[in-house]
Amino acid sequence: MGDQNTILSEGEARHLLRRSGLSATRKELATSGVLGLSRGAAADRLLGYKVKTFKPPGNDQRKQHDSYMRYLLVTKTPVQEKLALFWHDHFATGIAKLLASNFDQATKLMASQNKLLRTLAKGDMKAFVKAIGRDSAMIEFLDTVRNDKAIPNENYARELLELFTLGVFDSGGNENYTQADIVQIARAFTGWRYGRNLKPFLDGNQHDTSAEFFTERGPKRIFETRGQIAGGAVFDANGEGEPEIDTVVDIIFTHRDTDGANTVARRTARRLLEFYVGPDPDLSVIDTVIAESGFDATFNIQALLRAIFCNDAFYEPGQPFGAGVTKSVKWPVDFAIGSMRMLGMKFAGSNKYIPGGSFTGIINQMESMGQILLDPPSVFGWEWETSWLSSSTLLARYNFARDIVASRGGGRFRPDKLVDFSLTDPGLIVDEVLDALHVAHNFTAADKQICVDYLTDSGPPDLEDFNYVNEKLHGLFELVMKSPGYQVF
Amino acid sequence: MAITRRQFIRRTGLATAGTLLGPSLFASPFVRRAFADLGDRYLIVIFLDGGNDGQNTVVPVDNGGGSLRADYEDNRFSGGGGIRLTPAQLGGTLVGTDPNTGAQLALHPGFIGLKQLYDAGQLAVIQGCGYPEYSLSHEESRLIWQSGNPLRLTPLSGTGWVGRHLAATYGGSQIPGVCISDSIAPEFRQSTTSVLAIQELENFGFPWDSFGSDETAKELAFGALHANAVAGAQATQNFIGNAGNATLLSTSSYPALHTDYQADRPGFSQQYADIDRSIAYDLREVAKVIYGVSSVPPAPNVGARFFHLANNGYDTHSDQGGATGQQYDLHREVGDSLKLFYDDLADMDSNLPDKVLTVVWSEFARRIEQNGSGTDHGSQGPMFVVGGPNALNGGVYGNHPNIDALDIDDDGNGNTIYRQTAHPFRSTDFRDVFGTILKRWLNMTELQIKSNILIPDVVGGEYWSEANGINLNMGFLP
Repeated sequence: MGDQNTILSEGEARHLLRRSGLSATRKELATSGVLGLSRGAAADRLLGYKVKTFKPPGNDQRKQHDSYMRYLLVTKTPVQEKLALFWHDHFATGIAKLLASNFDQATKLMASQNKLLRTLAKGDMKAFVKAIGRDSAMIEFLDTVRNDKAIPNENYARELLELFTLGVFDSGGNENYTQADIVQIARAFTGWRYGRNLKPFLDGNQHDTSAEFFTERGPKRIFETRGQIAGGAVFDANGEGEPEIDTVVDIIFTHRDTDGANTVARRTARRLLEFYVGPDPDLSVIDTVIAESGFDATFNIQALLRAIFCNDAFYEPGQPFGAGVTKSVKWPVDFAIGSMRMLGMKFAGSNKYIPGGSFTGIINQMESMGQILLDPPSVFGWEWETSWLSSSTLLARYNFARDIVASRGGGRFRPDKLVDFSLTDPGLIVDEVLDALHVAHNFTAADKQICVDYLTDSGPPDLEDFNYVNEKLHGLFELVMKSPGYQVF
Repeated sequence: MAITRRQFIRRTGLATAGTLLGPSLFASPFVRRAFADLGDRYLIVIFLDGGNDGQNTVVPVDNGGGSLRADYEDNRFSGGGGIRLTPAQLGGTLVGTDPNTGAQLALHPGFIGLKQLYDAGQLAVIQGCGYPEYSLSHEESRLIWQSGNPLRLTPLSGTGWVGRHLAATYGGSQIPGVCISDSIAPEFRQSTTSVLAIQELENFGFPWDSFGSDETAKELAFGALHANAVAGAQATQNFIGNAGNATLLSTSSYPALHTDYQADRPGFSQQYADIDRSIAYDLREVAKVIYGVSSVPPAPNVGARFFHLANNGYDTHSDQGGATGQQYDLHREVGDSLKLFYDDLADMDSNLPDKVLTVVWSEFARRIEQNGSGTDHGSQGPMFVVGGPNALNGGVYGNHPNIDALDIDDDGNGNTIYRQTAHPFRSTDFRDVFGTILKRWLNMTELQIKSNILIPDVVGGEYWSEANGINLNMGFLP
């Protein structure tokens, strides 16, 4: 059992770097300064990054996607980027709908939201949720622009509760809200629009006000029967019009589940544990990280992440396989960008291909793998874990791995920079390859033997032989990237 | 003696298949129904991408007891840019009468092939298919049809109606579906079993770096690593072990289907090439798979029963054409390709057409009012179901939409109205069509269908939407 004072081993330090960020090369390990620190000090160091604003440029979907991918490949703040990816999935907004409804401003809307995700990623979650409600891309995506006082559109109100904050059910399986709550919250968002400058504003003519009270809708009150708020709470308490949408969020953040625990805190902690650790986190871990961080009072995301990075559960997936050990499937963006960062690869050409193999542009590679950044399939975001994998998405991963090892010379795939070419022991060569890809923990002794057999099936390794290197050493990297162990963190 | 690649595949293929079907697989939580009954039926879904103009797809030739022909001529014009189809032009593609008005109906004159299938009792024309409060957005309307879950009241994001059927029926080591595409069609998405995306069987190879000559050694090692993963105690690794091996097996088995078909059926192969349109080539890929799967003994390690194809170009805002032109070409290539495909199946085995059902849909039809030389986004439109003469009750089902200018939507967009009630022009919910297929072709129960595959808009399960009952026995399937 460890805690924030436990000193990180080298393996744990690399695990922390890779899971909190995008990769963990030996160089990154050296420059990060986390080696030799305690879990708590290392977490503080990583999470203390200075916020870097970045708006993915590009005036069409492909260019914008590619600039985002390139940024992930070169970023010096991978911890921020990893967290922004979490929020991109959490507040999922897809460019496809924006292109259909506001073609000319679609990439600008996405760029502006993407910057917001970075800026607020580790701050106050309550302020974050308030900001998302006024984000123009979200206003367009979830039909707030079409939310009129005559017939309030419930789309945003529903997702605000279901996906952004409470979830449909609490940990006991009880419903967190009713349809009546959604109908009421939709009233608060009536009339919110954005202008040509992409700034949000409230169109008072379309806002549901008490001056023209729709009497059948009753008072602006929510959670009369849920959330352990006696008698419910009114969201025009701080005034009608603009203040309503912030008041709604304030109320939601006081919602308590049937155990009496803060509902937003538990659900957010659960989602972050699923993201940084793996599926089905224990309720006891969820409650521990909330208690240690005070997240249910402060809603400070950085504090919650620190508690997660200090918890034993976080380090468990870095252990070798076992019946109880959780393994989480890499997102396609982790598979692609993580591999390229670990191997020191760069994109080439205007459509950002891997310079070898199929020369397929990165957006097409990512589409085949099942994840186009800035275009999640719906407001539910992407489906994680084994949902990422099918024969076709696996083939896309295999294609990507093949393209990497097929890019030879010219500062592209350079195994000589990753493996000591003076080695002759096949076991040591396998160890170096697994280390370069940071996957040794997911290879059993039997798996390693398969790799050794592969390296030696036509004789002992000779890393000074051009043909041996290009066939067998490239082949081993390819095999490892296509292995079951490499598909998981 | 050096082992050839083909021999190697067959050998490891068998060994791996043994591993896949071993006891550890059946203990895996990812395998819901290990001994799934594959049956001997096939389903093909064809998507006409862009919104096919239904009003010029199934056309009234006379008024019958109503005014459909007069209404049609009020809205669609002859002459320059006109898209009106005259009774003379429709004379060669007559089908049945409209169940509502009794008007004589005809297919677009480009549907020569479909007319032949109709006359052979192999085509059901289902008019006026859609859903309430039609979305005129390509994206949203497509999603509604593909998800079978229009209001998204049930969280089934990222999965499609066919996909959920597959997930409920097949296990993790099976590969019941193939999309003739570079990606999985949204209708086929799910996460429990395997669906392949194949553009050309010939090129569906496993991607290995081509330097040197140790592909065999890499396959051997890949298979061994995945076998270890299947045999291990970690659930995610079990899943990936199965999926990876299924992929390796398919890439070794599917390309041979191409070779076998080309060798055995050069005449038919050439006829698809003579049509020379993507839908013809795609149907030829399906024919290759069915030829392999239904052969005795079947081709090894191939078991696909569900196929998805798409044909593009239906967004005919301008230069749509009448009895010739853009839409004629689209209808001609689809009709001719389907006719050839069913002829091909019948030539393989006279019983085969009765085992293969094809359903054709589009995200919306187009407005009855002509807009310059084309038409704009509309709502409900016709679907086609094609099958063997004993698999299908051919004919016309569902009512033609009301196209009287006085009755069309008064919201200013000139759209036909999706009728939900017992109105003379009552429309058909697309879920009735897919639901009839799921129930009568794929043997799902009504409860399974309504709870997980096609989701009603109202709680209770008696109606798809307000006052629009559920009918999973539409009659086009015996």
